[in-house]
Amino acid sequence: MSEVQDQRYAQAAAEFGAALQRLVRASEANPERRRDLLQEMHVALWRSFAAYDERCSLRTWIYRVAHNVAATHVDKERRFNRASVTLDDIEHLPSGANIAAESEESDAIARLNALIRQLKSPDRQIITLYLEGEDARSIAEVTGLSPGAVATRVSRLKGALAKHFIETAHV
Amino acid sequence: MSEFDPLRSLWSQQKEEPFAMSLTDIHERASRFQTRIQWRNAIEYGAGALVVFAFGAIAWETPDWGVRAAVVLIITGVAYICWKLATIAGAARKDDGVSWADFHRAELVRQRDATASVWRWYLAPLLPGVVAFILASMFSPAEDVPLIARLGVVAVAMAWVAAVFFGIAHINKRASQKLQEEIDKLDAARRG
Repeated sequence: MSEVQDQRYAQAAAEFGAALQRLVRASEANPERRRDLLQEMHVALWRSFAAYDERCSLRTWIYRVAHNVAATHVDKERRFNRASVTLDDIEHLPSGANIAAESEESDAIARLNALIRQLKSPDRQIITLYLEGEDARSIAEVTGLSPGAVATRVSRLKGALAKHFIETAHV
Repeated sequence: MSEFDPLRSLWSQQKEEPFAMSLTDIHERASRFQTRIQWRNAIEYGAGALVVFAFGAIAWETPDWGVRAAVVLIITGVAYICWKLATIAGAARKDDGVSWADFHRAELVRQRDATASVWRWYLAPLLPGVVAFILASMFSPAEDVPLIARLGVVAVAMAWVAAVFFGIAHINKRASQKLQEEIDKLDAARRG
């Protein structure tokens, strides 16, 4: 392990710590498993910096590692007891009224996270990166999809999520 | 995508929770991770060794050379399967910094190849041993059973083995096709 690796990790943790927490909330509902996932993400990031070769920006690298850890976690959980929905199914999700009862700070944020958790890859990655403020090009770099495909999916996901929010707000 | 979006605004309102993980903690966790991998490998090899030991004991105990030869064939087959499992089990590393699509595709390809070639690395290595075991058991000189009855039992046993083997092959072939469909979909999304 090198000093550069430690420095890069410290920089990444300081700059992206909050974003990693948001990603973890959108990937895992259980608070204990969420904490484990966040720790796993930090360890994977630190390990990854041993091989960081600047082939992409630090920001892209961090998001790639974090999203691959999150995707692996979600896939593993889903194999046992979780259900995911496709982009086409999101409009038919149950009302957020029950989901909002989860012990989170805000009902709306809890609902948003619960909706995202139910999405399949790569929709989950795309929408979380979009919500972090990334544009289609950056999202394409992280996910490996084409910018065109990303832009189309972002538009559909935004529409579906917004529609769901408006509907449940009137329940 | 830079215009004001209430969802983005909502998303950014999430409060950061206290989270402390020192570099020492990180180093320790990373080292524990390596130890866990080593343990997992040791357990897998240990399970293989247990199977070899159990069948080896049968080969040692039995006075019948036909059964003994069949058991040796089964041991060889199991050892080959263990080796293949170890070589094809390596999933893509999460900390390689590759894009999600590359990471996910590598995993899908690995699973597709493993399921598509299940005859080669899983079923074929076991087949000689299983067939030899059935034949050797049924035609053992120690058994005082009429020939027609022996042939009947062999036929039933062979049919059962064939059904199990073809069942496994069929399930894996379908899984392999589904994985290929997923790979095709992913490639289409990568091309845009």
